[in-house]
Amino acid sequence: MKVEISRRRFLQGSVALSIIGGTSIGATSLLSDENEHGEMRIMTRTTNTKAQKVPFLCGMCVNKCAGIARVEKGVVVKLDPNPYFPKSRNMLCPRGNAGIQTLYDPDRLKYPLVRVGNRGDGKYKRVSWDEAYDAILNGTDKFKGLLQILDEEKDNRSTIGYCNGEGLSKEGFEELMGLKIGTPNYVDEISICLETVLGGYSATIGAYGEADMSNADYVIIAGANRAEAIITPDTMDMFKRSKGRGLKTIVLDPRFTNTAAKADRWYAVNPGTDLAFVLALTYVVFDENLYDKEFAKKYLVGYEDYKNHVIKNGYTPQWAEKITNIPADEIYKTAREFMSSEHPIYYQGRRSVFAKNDFQLRRAQAIFQGLSGNLDKKGGIIYGKKLALPKEDVNSPMYAQAQDRFDKEGIAIFAGKTGSWIVFRNMVLEGKNPYPLRAMFMRKHNPMAGVPNTKKTEEFLKKMDLNVMIDILPSDTTMFCDVILPEASYLERTSPVASYGFLEPAIVQRKAAIKPMFESKTPEVIYKELAEKLTEPLWKNSLKYDEDVQDDTKGMKADELAKYYKENGFDLTEPWEKSVEELNKERVVKAFGEEAWNTLEEKGVYYPNMDKYHKQLNPNEYQYYPDDKKNYTTKGDKLKVVVNFKNLAKKGVDPMPTWHDEWAFKVPDGQFRLVTGRHAQFTQSGTTNNMALRDLIPTNYIWINKREAKKRGIEFGDMLEVKSSIGKIHIKAYPTEKIAPNMIFMLHGFGGSSKEMEMAYGKGGNDAAIIEDKIEPVYGAAVMHETNVEIRKV
Amino acid sequence: MANYGMALDYKNCINCKACEVACKEENGVQLGADKHRIWVGVKEIEGLWPNLSIASSTFEPSQCQQCENAPCQEVCPTQATHYTKDGVVMVDADKCILCSYCMEACPYDARYVKEDTMTVDKCTFCSDTRLLRGETTTACQATCPTKVRTFGDLDDPNSEISILLAHREHRTLKTHLGTKPKLFYLI
Repeated sequence: MKVEISRRRFLQGSVALSIIGGTSIGATSLLSDENEHGEMRIMTRTTNTKAQKVPFLCGMCVNKCAGIARVEKGVVVKLDPNPYFPKSRNMLCPRGNAGIQTLYDPDRLKYPLVRVGNRGDGKYKRVSWDEAYDAILNGTDKFKGLLQILDEEKDNRSTIGYCNGEGLSKEGFEELMGLKIGTPNYVDEISICLETVLGGYSATIGAYGEADMSNADYVIIAGANRAEAIITPDTMDMFKRSKGRGLKTIVLDPRFTNTAAKADRWYAVNPGTDLAFVLALTYVVFDENLYDKEFAKKYLVGYEDYKNHVIKNGYTPQWAEKITNIPADEIYKTAREFMSSEHPIYYQGRRSVFAKNDFQLRRAQAIFQGLSGNLDKKGGIIYGKKLALPKEDVNSPMYAQAQDRFDKEGIAIFAGKTGSWIVFRNMVLEGKNPYPLRAMFMRKHNPMAGVPNTKKTEEFLKKMDLNVMIDILPSDTTMFCDVILPEASYLERTSPVASYGFLEPAIVQRKAAIKPMFESKTPEVIYKELAEKLTEPLWKNSLKYDEDVQDDTKGMKADELAKYYKENGFDLTEPWEKSVEELNKERVVKAFGEEAWNTLEEKGVYYPNMDKYHKQLNPNEYQYYPDDKKNYTTKGDKLKVVVNFKNLAKKGVDPMPTWHDEWAFKVPDGQFRLVTGRHAQFTQSGTTNNMALRDLIPTNYIWINKREAKKRGIEFGDMLEVKSSIGKIHIKAYPTEKIAPNMIFMLHGFGGSSKEMEMAYGKGGNDAAIIEDKIEPVYGAAVMHETNVEIRKV
Repeated sequence: MANYGMALDYKNCINCKACEVACKEENGVQLGADKHRIWVGVKEIEGLWPNLSIASSTFEPSQCQQCENAPCQEVCPTQATHYTKDGVVMVDADKCILCSYCMEACPYDARYVKEDTMTVDKCTFCSDTRLLRGETTTACQATCPTKVRTFGDLDDPNSEISILLAHREHRTLKTHLGTKPKLFYLI
């Protein structure tokens, strides 16, 4: 076991954040708990010594693959796949393997910090947890506290905003901020991610569903890059059967991806024009009567209207060829092949909204799937089942002074819970909010890198009186926060038990492999302690300003008042009376019994009859459920495909997918369309400081067509300035034929501006700094592929 | 005594590099892109956009071929490179003098210099980590999302690898050199 980077560098990394600013702390004291957790190592090696094996759920991306952590002498030395979880199919991807480097990242946030300099200059003071909570409540000489803000705002809880990234502890933060403290102003990753996909599919076939890639025989995968943006179990199931082995694969993508490399055919579709492709496929299907007529009659509500609509509008392959860059013959061929296949799937896709028409694109895809009749059945898009876990109700108080959320401008269907990041931020910047927004409570979320237009996000953060961050690393956003609370990483915490549904449902639990390092705490402990700190002072603020509370409590004696406070949910601490471990056990035992709990504790996974169903098939693969027990068909006669959605028209949304000419792909001469994406070695900005992953991809490049690059004298590695209407970045060139001459591509998540993330700082470009902050009109979700840029060598 | 080999269903490979990270974590391989025991070979795509040859874009997972006639073993002046009783080609770091003859001799470029010990290092089939503990898979096999690799005993007719090789067409790399590799690429 060796230290693989110099110890000096490790120390430098560890102390950098803590010694700047007022208080200087000796390096030795910072590592005082080093012995307790064993010697810190950057690269691990397993040995023959006795090890603990702890089941965990991966936290490197959103998939939650199950793994087993090998812990030797208190140090996590290896992460292996857990063969019991159906969803993750006994595997860990490169990020899953590299989780150890996130756990032992020298740049981790180790202690609570309070800002002592100006926002963004990185000057913080190490404080105790209580001092940090106190700074949140009462502020310091540098910033106002929550109590003063709510006093000035007369207890209008809506003046506090909050955001959170995806994860198992997200719900608890929503309970604290939304249900308990009482603000509706919440934004998360949905409106910068897959909102229109979820919305479009839910509105059309009732759910997003799951594509049964193990049994499908034909797939159109458009704009989804399953070989690089790994999704379980889709990725695992797809690529064992592509390349002439049972799953014919048609890929649409403006660039040639690793998924395209696995395809039978790849179409270089123009960005934002997939809808025209699907409409033309649909035209062929109606024109040649290729659809499943019985199925359509039974389940496709309004399909005849759609048939007339598609034919009347002349959405022919010839029409689509001009828009999409896909030859008409190929569209005919694809439509015919799709409908003559036994189990065809038009893959739903995930990730970001590409273009303004994304909601309609997803509707058109879902309807097209419906026309094949391959829904709610083996080899199709299935609905499956989920194992129910009992839910703990939160007693949520009513605050008379709190107001409704405001981020509705330009949005047809207002998704009440999570809103729109761009609209929310921009309305505040433009002063269009009807009441002030004065604080942001943030957790595991980095809008500086995730929300288009980084400059605006920075202005937005600077506008706040108070910014609080709960995270594991000093992200770009963290550096604009006033109070920073260090969270335990996923390998250091037991998380609320989770249930995953679809074909082979299971209950899973993440268990802490080691105790939280340094002074970090688990999210639920942070919620609890913050609630304990805030509850009395905020209650007093409500007594002072809330007329309903005043009316209700007039003349009450102290004990009556205390009872009222408890009974009406003003006690903020109530959801955290029990620990995560206690709650997990309680919920699982209640739903499935003691035996199930023991299985879950030992194996990390439980589902009914697991002992009977689970079998090893060969050294690599397992059976989780026998085929006749998989939930292929669960809807039956309740299945419904909403083709003509008349109510949408009332909201100003096309009731049936319709092409509008303004959606055509246009790039002015001399400019390029910017497209972005992900790959298997990084999730987003959260993984860019990981040393093992940096080894694989040290930076992002701008992909530019080889011939175009040659014309401009650009060679591999040349530094380019990429400029849009909102900003510019510097990034190195990668000339390749895998992209069109009028497009450029870059990986998302790089170009970090936080100097405290040593591995990530200054590496590559941040796409959010140049993607224009445009929204699609249905939910206000961020549109990622409608920005044109200029490039020049620098 | 076993005769270990590996079959690779290489068409499954999506070039995600999970195997590379798993190998490094398991075996303490140093950080640095030039230090690796296993890798995925990628070819530059042929054609001009949008007429690209999908067939030309392949991913070839690779590592030490564990040759039966290993050129690296023949040239080693100190017997640092040797065969284990299970037919695995290993480097004894205590004997290695870093003359680097083996690196020159290997036709598969499967060796690199481990800088903390300044000795030559290569794939061991996890002999000194996982196999030593009684595990039956290598780190690269166990973690693979699309299950490219099957490791096992070629002399055991009932092992999964023997069954695979008996039923599937396969090839070895640079067969003409007579190195008799024990990595088999399934066709």
